[in-house]
Amino acid sequence: MLHSDIKSRPTYRALEPDLAAAGHLLVIEAATLQPGGLAGLADAFAPVVANLHTWLVGEALAAPGLGKPWHLPAVADVVDALACATRGYGIGDRLYVQGTEPFLWSVATAAAIVGFGPGQLQLCHAGSLQRRVWCTHCHGVTEQVTTNVVPCAGCGRHLLVRDHFSRRLGAFMGVMVDAEAPGEIPAIEEVFA
Amino acid sequence: MIGDTLLLQVAAVTDIAPGLRHLRLVAADGGKLPPAAAGAHVQFVLEGAARTWRNAYSLVSRPGARDAWEIIVRRVPASRGGSAFIHEQLEVGDRLLAGWPGNLFAPVRIARHHLMIAGGIGITPFLSYLAEFGFTGAGHALHVCCRESEKDVFAPWLGSSPAVAFHWDADGHRLDIPALLASQPAGTHLYVCGPAAMNDEVMAAAAVAGWPASHVHCEHFGSALFGGEAFRAFLVRSGIELEVAEDESLLDAIERAGVAAPCLCRGGACGVCVTPLLEGEAEHRDHFLSADERAAGRLIMPCVSRARAGRLVLDL
Amino acid sequence: MSIAFKPEETFRGDYSYRNSDAAILRFPFPFPEDKYMYSVNIEPHVRSGPSDVFIRPFDVDEHYIAECRDRAITLERDPGRCQVLPHMMLAQWDTLELLMENLSADYPEHFSLTKEGDDFGSRWTWTNRPLGIEQSFIFGDAATLPCEPFEYITRQAQGDFAICDQRDDNLYMDAGMVTSQADWSLEFDVGMSFMEWHGPVPLAHQTGVFERALKYLLMLRLGQPVRRLNWTMTINPRLDTSPESFPEWGTDRASVTPDNAGSKVHLRVELQTLWRLPRSNAILFPIRCYLASLDDLARVPKWGARLHRVLSSLPPQLVEYKGLTRYLPAALAWLSRHDDGAELPIGTEAGVDTLT
Repeated sequence: MLHSDIKSRPTYRALEPDLAAAGHLLVIEAATLQPGGLAGLADAFAPVVANLHTWLVGEALAAPGLGKPWHLPAVADVVDALACATRGYGIGDRLYVQGTEPFLWSVATAAAIVGFGPGQLQLCHAGSLQRRVWCTHCHGVTEQVTTNVVPCAGCGRHLLVRDHFSRRLGAFMGVMVDAEAPGEIPAIEEVFA
Repeated sequence: MIGDTLLLQVAAVTDIAPGLRHLRLVAADGGKLPPAAAGAHVQFVLEGAARTWRNAYSLVSRPGARDAWEIIVRRVPASRGGSAFIHEQLEVGDRLLAGWPGNLFAPVRIARHHLMIAGGIGITPFLSYLAEFGFTGAGHALHVCCRESEKDVFAPWLGSSPAVAFHWDADGHRLDIPALLASQPAGTHLYVCGPAAMNDEVMAAAAVAGWPASHVHCEHFGSALFGGEAFRAFLVRSGIELEVAEDESLLDAIERAGVAAPCLCRGGACGVCVTPLLEGEAEHRDHFLSADERAAGRLIMPCVSRARAGRLVLDL
Repeated sequence: MSIAFKPEETFRGDYSYRNSDAAILRFPFPFPEDKYMYSVNIEPHVRSGPSDVFIRPFDVDEHYIAECRDRAITLERDPGRCQVLPHMMLAQWDTLELLMENLSADYPEHFSLTKEGDDFGSRWTWTNRPLGIEQSFIFGDAATLPCEPFEYITRQAQGDFAICDQRDDNLYMDAGMVTSQADWSLEFDVGMSFMEWHGPVPLAHQTGVFERALKYLLMLRLGQPVRRLNWTMTINPRLDTSPESFPEWGTDRASVTPDNAGSKVHLRVELQTLWRLPRSNAILFPIRCYLASLDDLARVPKWGARLHRVLSSLPPQLVEYKGLTRYLPAALAWLSRHDDGAELPIGTEAGVDTLT
């Protein structure tokens, strides 16, 4: 399902520093790192390490070659840190984010608020394919969804998880699966592991 | 608010400096003009004795003005002649045809800050920008690069805003473009309008400073909205030889000859007017044909496309 | 032109919405041929066409008052059906001006607009007689209206409206008033680019329809609006077929039988127009919705037969996307009684002056 060709679904690619940029901020969801993942990033970002800041979110790992990383407990702290940067960010700066899709879009949304445009942002999907699902009916959000149909955390309706994706909400659309025939719920399968 | 051309009348002509003429134009029927946006331009049909020019000028009137449009025309020494016509021939009371406003240089309204760099007469689109930002309160700065003598010509048009700075070629007065571009916050959009060399310099400096291309905007003047060189076409099935004038489309010429050609959007998108091309090389301007179809050279959309060279032979 | 409004009719509950004979005859039937497929069917929105719904840029009909009331009910329950991102204020005023100017010029007995000037800062007075509204306000000053200008004027107009901001060679759906949509969510889609919000549409992406349409729209000119028709089917004359309220209307789809399809199943045609806005350079996208039951349509013999053929030959992906799967067999069984198989002339015109 990650490879759905629906046009609203973002495409992600490996992070690669923009050599023309003035400053570089790398934000990594530590739990999604594969063995050797940090070393790979250190290789990729070696040309810009003098102007690189690295934020590691979650586990406090050592990150040789990525400057002196700053450790943040959770994505909410990233959002706060972006909003509170005293000197702000410049038009020549770039933000690189790696992690699960909900993580990527939480950070991207916060970055947009402080002025980062899409051209200043790179997103790389890593870790689980679990989805954040937005309920079309109650507008509640259900996190860490791994199944094709999921009970809404807000209203309890069984939602069919569509591929249609909203960057603004960082979420996939969920629509009541048995609205036409109440109780007719298809087999629930693990599809976004 | 539907229409494509308007008949205007020259209401006032003012020479604001040697080689700079300001025109005030009203609707010839005394009615209202369509409102226009910041950055809008209008294409004017200038009927000279020997030939006709179609020149586009930025509107410098306040955005949304419906009583009159204003333009400032610089006389271009080696021009196609349209600006010379305006400077030498056009008089108060003269009438001229104009298109509805177009806009290829609108401000980006999601910007958190607008940085404008003008070179000389390139300030014209920014006069309407300043009016809009004054109304909406959007953050902005305008840097005008001109000759020192031009400063007093432009200053009255710019008001007394602290957001406007003049620069000229003398020690202590030159604009340090790299320094300016390096110090801008995220969310800034850059707009540049001036001589080609200055535009290129600013664009290059922005790339060096790491500006994303999506945040850098340059006014491209002189790109034809329609028309081009005159050419000939032959309609095989109708047995008609056509002369396509520089200011009409191939489709216009086909229709003028009384040949019914299917068409819908007249803008190169719908594909309804696609016609087999039997001979000749097309200059494709449509959005419909694929790269392969263009390369094959056997189809043309006469609503927008023209001849690249020589005569076109159509199966029509 | 005086319109006999039907202020009491409803689009929910007892569904008392009905078309007069005149309304059926002017219905913008969308199928010129016996088969349907997506195309860039865009044409200039000139004051002419096969039905008189095309004569005025913003068509007002007998359902005007009832539709405005239905919108108000939906907004009361879910204010999120109107969304405007903060950078769209100029486009809001553009929309208000365009609608007020056209409605007052085309329907002077129902609407009037007096202006002390055309610029921002001028006092305007708007009168909407069918809804009993008289409002004096300062053009350009949102604080002088009871709500923001886009919401204000689209509460007084039939059909949905979206506004697309143009930047970076793309269009972004950055504002909308959407209470009668064919199963898409404005709150989910707001802020999306052109390709993103068309993401769920099947088949059309592969043929390049959207790339061409986008390029064309980016060049859309002030003063030269364009239009196209789109369609789907709806059970009962319901305007609010949003995904938000799907739990309320979803079961209706299971209620269709070959005997009740004539009154239950409605063809829903959207007259979509696109307007370059003057101050904001945005594009206004009004989606004017017309509903006619199969009973209504079969009173025009050509339309009943043609609809039968179009629906019989619809690609399965479109049947699924348009949500017809559950009741299409029943609708076809009903329609087959109105199709004798004789060849039908090309074109959408009714071909009759009175109804059978």
